[in-house]
Amino acid sequence: MVLYELRTGAPAILRRDAQALFQSTRTCCRRYASSTATEELEQTSSFSTPDPSEDIIKNYDPIARSRKRSVQLPPSRYQFRPPKYYRGPLHPHQPPHPSDPSSREFIPGPFTLPRLEQTYESTIAPDLMTLTYTHFPPGYRAPEKSERLRTWRGDSPYFKNRPLRGPRGGDALRLLRKPITFRNIPRITGVTIHSMVKEAKEDSAYLHVAGMVMQAISNVKVKTHVAKSSVAQWGLREGKYISATAHLKQEDAFHFLSKCVDVVLPRIKDWKGLKGSTGDSSGNLNFGLTPEAVALFPEIEINYDMYPPKMIPGCNIIIHTTARTDRDARLLIRAIGFPFYGKLVD
Amino acid sequence: MRRIWSSLSQNPSICTSCLVTISQRRHASATAVAIAEDNSTPPQTTHIPPVSEAASPKTAYQLRAGVVLSRPPQITRDLTPFEKSFFLYQRRLNERLALPFTRYFYFKKDTPADVDWKRKIKTRLTPARDIGVYNPYSKEGWHDELLVGDRTSEVESQVEALLKDAEVEAVGDKDAQEQEQVGGGKKEAVERPMPRETEADRKGDVRSLDRKLARTLYLLVKDKTGRWCFPSDRLVGKEILHLAAERIIVQAGGINMNTWVVGNAPVGHYSRPFRTPVVDSAKGIEELGEKVFFMKARILAGQANLKENALELTDFQWLAKEEIEGIVTPEYWSDVKNMLATR
Repeated sequence: MVLYELRTGAPAILRRDAQALFQSTRTCCRRYASSTATEELEQTSSFSTPDPSEDIIKNYDPIARSRKRSVQLPPSRYQFRPPKYYRGPLHPHQPPHPSDPSSREFIPGPFTLPRLEQTYESTIAPDLMTLTYTHFPPGYRAPEKSERLRTWRGDSPYFKNRPLRGPRGGDALRLLRKPITFRNIPRITGVTIHSMVKEAKEDSAYLHVAGMVMQAISNVKVKTHVAKSSVAQWGLREGKYISATAHLKQEDAFHFLSKCVDVVLPRIKDWKGLKGSTGDSSGNLNFGLTPEAVALFPEIEINYDMYPPKMIPGCNIIIHTTARTDRDARLLIRAIGFPFYGKLVD
Repeated sequence: MRRIWSSLSQNPSICTSCLVTISQRRHASATAVAIAEDNSTPPQTTHIPPVSEAASPKTAYQLRAGVVLSRPPQITRDLTPFEKSFFLYQRRLNERLALPFTRYFYFKKDTPADVDWKRKIKTRLTPARDIGVYNPYSKEGWHDELLVGDRTSEVESQVEALLKDAEVEAVGDKDAQEQEQVGGGKKEAVERPMPRETEADRKGDVRSLDRKLARTLYLLVKDKTGRWCFPSDRLVGKEILHLAAERIIVQAGGINMNTWVVGNAPVGHYSRPFRTPVVDSAKGIEELGEKVFFMKARILAGQANLKENALELTDFQWLAKEEIEGIVTPEYWSDVKNMLATR
């Protein structure tokens, strides 16, 4: 009984004690870290400094000043040259990050804010959010699902530490579709343009032209690929350069897609759209363009004569999205302006 | 289960469909009901007074559907000063780092286009047409920053530069050269882009859909009490929200609007208690306030027309987000602002 009382009474007593202690400390030494930090801050800001006077602005001419110098500074004094090779993390001379303009790997950009990107942010993303919204009342607990990869259960001693069983119903472990919130609205991550040029196995000029065409329409340096294995029926020999790809990201991808939607695809005769069954079931959609359609790109059209007309390649275009299912990706691509035809397959 | 059923069936403040599903629900409110049942205490209802057996009317909220009808931005937004100067900086860097322009791939030798190109590159010094006069390969290539007051990074001056570049002077034939010597070469007029500011912007016409092309515009209507709000109406019978939204669009703005109701779920809600409860004697319901659930809709074509509207609306406006704040009540704004797009 005493024990019981102690047990029930103890927290109350402790609380009262702690409260008294807290009150006494609160009055004597109140200190906020943020308020003391502000005292140490400088009151003046560089934003409040007045602009340079009129005559300073007028007379400022850096070119003339540098020309007036009788002895020029040696480049080693003001030009940083990054090391040619990366010699490991412990080397004292480290190359700068690729985003640094002085880096050897630096690629300038972005140069514009694409119209399609702005449309996505202002219109498409909020609409997708509304369309795919699923409401869960507060306190909702999702029903428990069975494990994706099952463990081995049984009496056998060999089941211990055995790797998990493979996915049900096939080899591939499919992506999980999570409910779409403001954090995971599907967006476009990139575009891959790919072309396998059959004629390149006899004449490499075809591959060169294909590379030039793809580079012109995509604004990205293309990569060429060799055939992995020989296929006698196609006359393909291992190690022959046979195809080219261009990986577009960010600005380039947006410009390419809007070019397709606004300029090229509307001019293709009898173009039905993307096939409804396209997709790799994890949100990446694919469509093809014939050589005639590729020739409709404004970059090709403007100097069409410079490309040997029979050598312009057709190409496959893969649109990469962050959607987990083809259905969500299709919703996004449709909003951008690509039509679909045929039976829609998820 | 049966216990819950029997207790709930006596409680008229719960609708039939909730009554059926409430025991199957997995969320917190169902648990709360179950706990209350276990303790056999009366349910704590704060806003709904306990219903007595007397013939006093049921209390409820007036359920309304609202439509947030919007016109998405038609043109790109204005760039910030930082973005403008950053993009120009990157373009000039690109000119410094890129390989020289392969002229003969784009222009055949001694064609008029080639001659034109040679003349133009002499003045602007770089193949890029919108980065001002800048020679990236020269000894002074390091001087790629703009001086104070230089307007090269402004979009307007870049557009002017592109337009000036697009003008093709008739070159190559002797007549044109003679003309040039006599006075001014023949220049083909280049089509100028449409202005970003329209006539409705200049006039301040808030009823036009052509105003503020870079912003999302929302349809606001003035109801019979003189308040500005999004068009809304009571739900009729067992009407579903998105069907109600379609009906309201037609009843408020007429049939001359091509619209699309986005999704089946509301994007926001607004609730307000009435000062004095309204008694609906026909249904025997006392209404304590109104709850409006807003559906999102887009206008694709057409224009609102309040003639013959069934909702007794007197006026309408197409407004951007910050303009709405000025004309609606503070309570309305605080409930509504988070569902409107910033741009």
